[in-house]
Amino acid sequence: MPTILITGASRGIGLESARQHATDGWKVIGCCRNPASATELKKIPGVSVHALDVTRFDAVDALARDLDQPVDVLLNNAGQSPRPRLGFGNMDYAQWSGLFTVNTLAPFKMAEAFHDHVRRSERRIIANVSSIMGSIGDTSGGHVAYRSTKAALNMVTKTLAGDLAADGVTVLSIHPGWVRTDMGGPTAAISPEQSAAGMKKLVEGATPAISGRFYDWTGSEIPW
Amino acid sequence: MPSVLVTGANRGLGLEFVRQYSAEGWRVFAACRSPRRADDLNDLAAASRGRTSVHAVDVSDRRAVRSLADELNEPIDILINNAGLMEAWSEGFGQIDYAKWEAILRTNLFGPAWVTHAFAPHVARSERKVVAMMTSGLGSLTENADGNRNAAGKLYMYRSSKAALNMLVTKLAADLRGRGITVVAIGPGHVQTDMGGPTAKLKPPESIGGLREVLASRTIEHTGRYFFYTGAPQPW
Repeated sequence: MPTILITGASRGIGLESARQHATDGWKVIGCCRNPASATELKKIPGVSVHALDVTRFDAVDALARDLDQPVDVLLNNAGQSPRPRLGFGNMDYAQWSGLFTVNTLAPFKMAEAFHDHVRRSERRIIANVSSIMGSIGDTSGGHVAYRSTKAALNMVTKTLAGDLAADGVTVLSIHPGWVRTDMGGPTAAISPEQSAAGMKKLVEGATPAISGRFYDWTGSEIPW
Repeated sequence: MPSVLVTGANRGLGLEFVRQYSAEGWRVFAACRSPRRADDLNDLAAASRGRTSVHAVDVSDRRAVRSLADELNEPIDILINNAGLMEAWSEGFGQIDYAKWEAILRTNLFGPAWVTHAFAPHVARSERKVVAMMTSGLGSLTENADGNRNAAGKLYMYRSSKAALNMLVTKLAADLRGRGITVVAIGPGHVQTDMGGPTAKLKPPESIGGLREVLASRTIEHTGRYFFYTGAPQPW
């Protein structure tokens, strides 16, 4: 059975992805900051839960050493969106910098640390949960802190796709949709179940031919 | 005469901007980290009869940016955010220094954000009201493609900082439209500078000559877009 490693697996889209893959018989490595409070995640049969703060790069390296096994899909799902939104006029630069660490540098660090695990798996997929808010050509204003970290994450996806093509690794950016989670809020358009199912289908159908591209949860390509 | 503020003015493309605007008699505010070591720039300033002045500022230092903005109480027609850093090509996958990545984001992204925030009032009370961000083909998600093997891969820090800078351009364009300020990304091409290397196709006078023409004709209808030195619109 294939293995998926999910960051930010204790709630929202990460939790639902863990549930759906486990139900399908995948081996699920669920990572979250505080396993002690991840009661939902721990309830799912077939999920091994690991403590991981993705911004602690030494801890990422340590987990990569501990988990000496192939990883078919690395799902870089952990991410943050600042509240209130940060843009021109109310920017908090320390917070902006911290957002880059979580949303851009950490997914890259995960790819570096788990490169070998992915390379020796069957499917060899790295999926970065991005956002349509990272689409640069969008002409609306505001929220530049979050948006710039996702544009930068898309560049990480694209650049990794070039670098890891020789290893047969497929790298994707995925917009999960506007989902009813803690981040998306209660009035969002779709449920975590719909989002996770769409992303799962996309990832299962992914081949090197589509590496380096940006899709939404329905499988439609999104412009940069 | 119109006025221009150029960051990273001590060498390469920044220095060439100063040389050309100076030669045309513009009021040039030339900013760089260490004016004492900027011999070429100081020579240009000395020959300008006071029209070109040199200012010490590290754009990654928010307070230094703020104090320069307070000191220069004059309209600025064109603000050129040119200062930028790039890692070595050898610092690729598996060789990443994350502290350096943060430093590059600070100079290439936060720097232009600080400078634009601090100088938006100066630009808003000028005639032309143009803010330009120096981006790069290496920062284009469209151009970093599998079909372009030489360009694909590596330079994660530089590329991601420029993609993020491009995002800053489209958001600032929306945020500053109401004040009549035009914000554009500009691409210089691959130029023979310390950053571009000696084998680059273009020389600075040609690239900057083209970019000055582009900037001279930008108005609010161009805001939020990205133009090559030839004037051609570029994809994100």
